Amino acid sequence: MLSYEPGDSLAHRLDPRSKLAVQIGFVAVAFAYTTPRGLAVLTAVTVGMLAVAATPPWTALAELKYVLPLLAAAPAVEALTLGSPWVVVADAVAPALAAYRILLVLAVSAAYVRTTPVRESRAVVQRHVPGRTGQFLGMSVAFVFRFLPVLQADLARIRDAQRARLGTERPVHERIASVLLSALDGAFDRSERFADALQARCFAWNPTLPALRFTWLDGPALVVAGGFLLAAVVTVV
Amino acid sequence: MANTSTTDVDLVGSEMTLNVARVALFAALMGAFAYVSFPNPLVPSVPVTLQVLGVFLAAIFLGPVWGGAAMVVYLLAGALGVPVFSSGSAGLGSFFGATGGYLVSYPFAAFLVGAVIHGGFEPDAPKSVSVGRLIVGMALAVPVVYAFGIPVYWYYLDVTWTTAIVNAGLLFLPAEAVKIAAAVGIVHSDRLNTA
Repeated sequence: MLSYEPGDSLAHRLDPRSKLAVQIGFVAVAFAYTTPRGLAVLTAVTVGMLAVAATPPWTALAELKYVLPLLAAAPAVEALTLGSPWVVVADAVAPALAAYRILLVLAVSAAYVRTTPVRESRAVVQRHVPGRTGQFLGMSVAFVFRFLPVLQADLARIRDAQRARLGTERPVHERIASVLLSALDGAFDRSERFADALQARCFAWNPTLPALRFTWLDGPALVVAGGFLLAAVVTVV
Repeated sequence: MANTSTTDVDLVGSEMTLNVARVALFAALMGAFAYVSFPNPLVPSVPVTLQVLGVFLAAIFLGPVWGGAAMVVYLLAGALGVPVFSSGSAGLGSFFGATGGYLVSYPFAAFLVGAVIHGGFEPDAPKSVSVGRLIVGMALAVPVVYAFGIPVYWYYLDVTWTTAIVNAGLLFLPAEAVKIAAAVGIVHSDRLNTA
């Protein structure tokens, strides 16, 4: 499961906004340079960024193993042809490059996720999305973060109970419905108790948030982000 | 950092608080669904995740506005690093991956399902909605989800349209019927105490 790991790497000390800017720049540059040479350079850049985030490349790859089959399917299906010669390797080159590009983008965003606590990201949203919309989005994200493990545990418990009672012998739509009925009931109960608890604690539109501050470390990061965007614009124009 | 005095506190109203709590819980439930997969009855090698079912249920139980909002919160939470996307992935990069188009379609699909099923912006009691209307509402959302999902797969993976339609569409389509049947079963079940 991909989530924040406390640490004191360079990336941990950056402002979340400069890390978001670097990610957006990286996406632009990866889409502008989807060539073997471009992707070779970007692979080196990705390894460098993972090093700055104290995330070993194999850890990032392990986080991404679930997307690999879907990415691999694109070049595999593309290479197939109906009729002789059945497999045309040349057709698979472009999708393979595109799939590899997606892998690099995901690795860079894994570095952000591992080095940025969710409350800092929430502070970015509430600072830059104006008014109550920003407050609503920020606090909801924080609540999702807190409730995800609770609801996962609920679902796992329900499925265990179903398996123990041979529920796995029933048709798929009945199994899904019975798991979800229990999960929904649980979630509605929780949301009502949670709303009561929030009100008891003066749930307000204007809570105090962690301060966001650019430091001198963010300078190089913003230069990198700007460089990526410039490089992307130069190729496209 | 300025000190806060009690007179500055702008309390959230009780109805709004319940809506915020429900939106957050539904968004988290979507995240929990992303970890649960059932075998696809027609293509056993492609597992069915329950996320699209989460979109349907959010629209049915919260209505078009709050259901759509729950999907926006789900996407934002995932983009900012809460592991809620399929199989526990997260991050801005997911939007530029093979399934990025499906993700972006969820708020639109939830709004559409909610608006059709409740016949407007205000949600009715889900049990009062007829089975036909539930099925039509959800069936209309399926093309919306694929209208985002297939072109994005085609564009990001640089494949032909045929490959995109097979890999990102046809393999998953039979499972949507199972999800619609499950959603109808849930809404009209005697076991459901809520809403």
